[in-house]
Amino acid sequence: MSGYLAGVLAQLAINIVIAYSVFLPAAAGLLNLGAAGFVLVGAYTAGGLTSRLGVPLVAAIPLAGLSAALIAFLVSFPILRTRGVYMVLATFAFAEIVGGILLNIPALGGAAGLSVSAYAGLPLVFAVTALVVGFVAWLLATRFGLAMRAVHDDENVALLFGTNLRLTQVLAFTAGGALGGIGGALLVHQFNFIDVQTTGVMFSIFVLLYVLMGGTQTAWGPIAGALFFTLVPEGLRRAAELSPSLKFLESSRYIVFGAGVVLVMMWRPEGLITRTLVERCYGLWRRNA
Amino acid sequence: MPDAILSVEGLCKRFGGLTVIDDVSFGVRRGSRTALIGPNGAGKTTVFNLLSGAYSVDRGRIRLEGEDITALPARLRIGRGLARSFQNVRLMPHLSTVENVMLGEQWRSPPFSLARGRRAGERAARALADAGLDTYPGQVVATLPYGIQKRIEVVRALAAEPKLLLLDEPAAGLNSAETAALRALLERACERGITLLVVEHDMNFVKQLCDHVVVLSFGRKIFEGTPEEVHADAGVRQAYLGAAAA
Amino acid sequence: MQTLQQLVNGLMLGGILAFVAVGFTLTIGMLNFLNFTIPALFMLAAMTMWALGTTGAHPFAAGMPWLAAAAIGIAVAVAASLLIERFTYRFMKAKYGDATEHALPLVSSLGFLLIFEHLVLTLWGSEPQRVELPLAQADLRIGGLIVGVPQLASLALAFILVALLSTLLARTRLGRALRAIAENPDAATLMGVEVNRIVPIVFILTGVLAALAGILYAASYRTVSPFIGDDVAADAIAGMVLGGLGNVWGAIVGGLLVGMVKVLAISWFGAEIEKIPVWGLLLLLLVVKPTGLFGHTRIGKGKF
Repeated sequence: MSGYLAGVLAQLAINIVIAYSVFLPAAAGLLNLGAAGFVLVGAYTAGGLTSRLGVPLVAAIPLAGLSAALIAFLVSFPILRTRGVYMVLATFAFAEIVGGILLNIPALGGAAGLSVSAYAGLPLVFAVTALVVGFVAWLLATRFGLAMRAVHDDENVALLFGTNLRLTQVLAFTAGGALGGIGGALLVHQFNFIDVQTTGVMFSIFVLLYVLMGGTQTAWGPIAGALFFTLVPEGLRRAAELSPSLKFLESSRYIVFGAGVVLVMMWRPEGLITRTLVERCYGLWRRNA
Repeated sequence: MPDAILSVEGLCKRFGGLTVIDDVSFGVRRGSRTALIGPNGAGKTTVFNLLSGAYSVDRGRIRLEGEDITALPARLRIGRGLARSFQNVRLMPHLSTVENVMLGEQWRSPPFSLARGRRAGERAARALADAGLDTYPGQVVATLPYGIQKRIEVVRALAAEPKLLLLDEPAAGLNSAETAALRALLERACERGITLLVVEHDMNFVKQLCDHVVVLSFGRKIFEGTPEEVHADAGVRQAYLGAAAA
Repeated sequence: MQTLQQLVNGLMLGGILAFVAVGFTLTIGMLNFLNFTIPALFMLAAMTMWALGTTGAHPFAAGMPWLAAAAIGIAVAVAASLLIERFTYRFMKAKYGDATEHALPLVSSLGFLLIFEHLVLTLWGSEPQRVELPLAQADLRIGGLIVGVPQLASLALAFILVALLSTLLARTRLGRALRAIAENPDAATLMGVEVNRIVPIVFILTGVLAALAGILYAASYRTVSPFIGDDVAADAIAGMVLGGLGNVWGAIVGGLLVGMVKVLAISWFGAEIEKIPVWGLLLLLLVVKPTGLFGHTRIGKGKF
C-alpha cells in the first residue's frame, strides 16, 4: 500500500472516531460545537504522556479517552443547563477555553504546538477505530441507546416512561468526550504534531457539519459524513494535481463541501443516511438472501 | 372507597391566576374501567398531567395503592404501576414500531444489557402482533397512518405492565373498525387485571367499555356514577348543553 | 495612563464588535436564527473593497476611489446576505413550515460560511493584504491619549446606526411588523404581515451592518484576508450573549465590553491569554444567566 493511500485511510478512520464523539451527544439531542475541545484534551494528554513521560502509545490512547471523558463529565453539568442555540454557544466557548489554556502551558509546547515521536500506524489506527465503531454499535443496541434516542425525540414522554433525562444526557456527552479524546490521541500520533490553531473553531464546525450531513439517526450516518468529508476533498486535490488548468479544484474543495452541506440540509434535512433508508436497504437485502 | 387503586383528594391546580382544577376528589376501584368525562376545557387532560407528574400539584393528594405519590418525580411513577397515553399521538417519530413499544418496558431492564434488550425486542414484536399491528415491524412510526400510531401508543403503555393505565382520548380520530379493535385490546388488558382510567368524548365508547364515570366541568367534579346514571342526570346534561350553547 | 490608553483601544475594537454583535442579535431576535454567515459578509465587503480599490495583478483590481469601492463592497455583502436568506431561512420555512424551531438554518449558514470564505480564497488567495485608506494614519491626541480617526468614526457610526435602528423598531410600521414576526411568525402572517417581504429586510440590515464593520475593520487595522471575519465574529457572538440574545442595545454594550476585556487582558497578560477571559466570562454567563446581562426572553430551541 502506498504511503499516500495509508495516510488517507488513517485520516478517514480518525475522522470517523471524531465524528462519533459528536454523534453520541447528537443522538441524545445535544448539539456539540466543541469537538475540538475534547480532541485537544485527548491529543495533549496522549502526546504529553508519550513524549514527556515515555508512556507506551497503547496505554496513552485509553488514558487520553479517560481524561477527555472526565473533563466532559465535569463540564456536562454546567453545559446541560443550557439548551438549543445556547448549548451550541456554550460548547463552542468550552473549546475556545481549552485551546486558550493549552496555549499557556509551555511544558506542552504552548503556541508552537506539541511534537511527538511515537507513531500510530495504520494497523493501530484501524484497530482503535474498529473498537470505537463496535462500542457505538453496542451502546445504541442497549436500553441506554434506546433511552438516548427517545430523549432526542421527545424529552417529556421519555421522562414519563422512566428515563432519567439528566443522567442519559450526561452519559451521552461523557461518552462523546471520551471518543473525542481517543480521536485526538490518534490524530497527534498519526501526524506526530498538533497545535491549537489548526484544531480550533473551524475544526469543530467541520466535525459538526459532516456528522449532521451524514445523519444522526443511525450509526451509519457519521461514517457516511466522514467518508464525504475525507474523500471528496482528497479526490479534488488529486484531480488538481493532474493538470495545471485544474489547479482551482484544490482550493475549491471546501466550497464543494459547503455546498454539499447546504444541499443536504435543503433536501435531506435529517442527513444522508436516515433510519428509513437503512430499514429499506435491510429489507431489500433480506429479500434477496 | 375500600379497594381503591387510585385515590385523589382535594386536588387543585392553578395556572397564573386561573384555577383549572378546583378541589377535585375521586377514587378508582381496582379492576374497574373508570371514565373521566366532561365538556371541553373541563380539566380532564390537566388531571392526567397531574397524575402522571407532568405538572406539579398545588394542593391536594394523589395516592396510588395507598402510597402518596403527590410529590414523586414523574420518571419514577411508571415503576409504581402508572402508565399513560396521550391525546395527540406522542410516539417517538424516529424510532421503529418495535422500539417504541420497547420504550414502554425499558424501565424494568438494566441499562447496558444487550441480551435483555434483544428479548425485550421479541416481547415488543409479540405485543404488536397480539394487537394486530405486526405488519410494520421495522418501520419508523412517523410514516404510519394516524389510527395505527394511536393504537401503537396504547400497546406501548401496556408494555409497561402498569397496574393503572391512563388513556387520554384513545378513540379520537379512529374509524369504527379501529375503535372496535382498540376496545378488544383494552378488554384483554382488563382481563389481565389492569385498571383503566379513560378520558373520552365518544360516549358510545364509554358506555360499552366503562363501568364507572366521573364528570368534570370547569375544573370541578359535578357527578360520579354508572354510565346509565350519568346519562340520566340533569346536572350533567346542563353542563354539556350549557357548554354547547355558550 | 497606559491603562487608560488600552481602555480607549478596547473601546475602538469594541465599536467594531458592537456592529457585528448587533447583526447577530437582530437575526437571532427576529428569526431565532444564529446566522454564522455574518463573518463571511464582514470579510466579503472588506476584501471586495480592497480588490476594487487597489491596482495590481489580482482579479477585479480597478484602482477605484475608496468610497466607491466601499459602497460596492457593501452592495456585494447585501446581495450575498439575500442569497443566504433565499436558501436558508425562506427555503426551510417553505418546505418545513417552521424554520425558527429548527437548527437547520444554523447548519446551512455554516455551509455558506465555508463556501464564501473559500470562494474568496480561490479568487484572491489566502495572504493578508494591506489596505491603505486615506485618514487611516490620522490620530487625534487628546490630553496624551492617542485616538485613531477611523476607530473614532466607527464608534460614532455604531452609536448613530443603532440609535436609528432602535427608532426604526420602535416607531415605524416596518418595526412593528418585524416585532410581530419576532413574537410569532405564524400569527404575524395571519395578521397580514407579509413575512416573505419583511424577512429579507432583516437580512439586508445584517448585510449592511456586517459590511460596514468589515470596512471599518480594514480601515482601522489596515489589513484584510479571507479569514478576518472568524475571530471578530467569535468575539461579537460573545458580546451578543453578554448583552442578551435579541437585545440591540445589549449587543452594543456587550460588544464594547468584550473589546475592552480583550485589549486589557492582552496588555496585562500577553497575547497568548486573550481567549480565556472572554470565553470564560461567556461560559460562566451562559451557565449562570443564559439570558445575558440585559436579556428578556429565552430564544433558541434548536431541534434537529
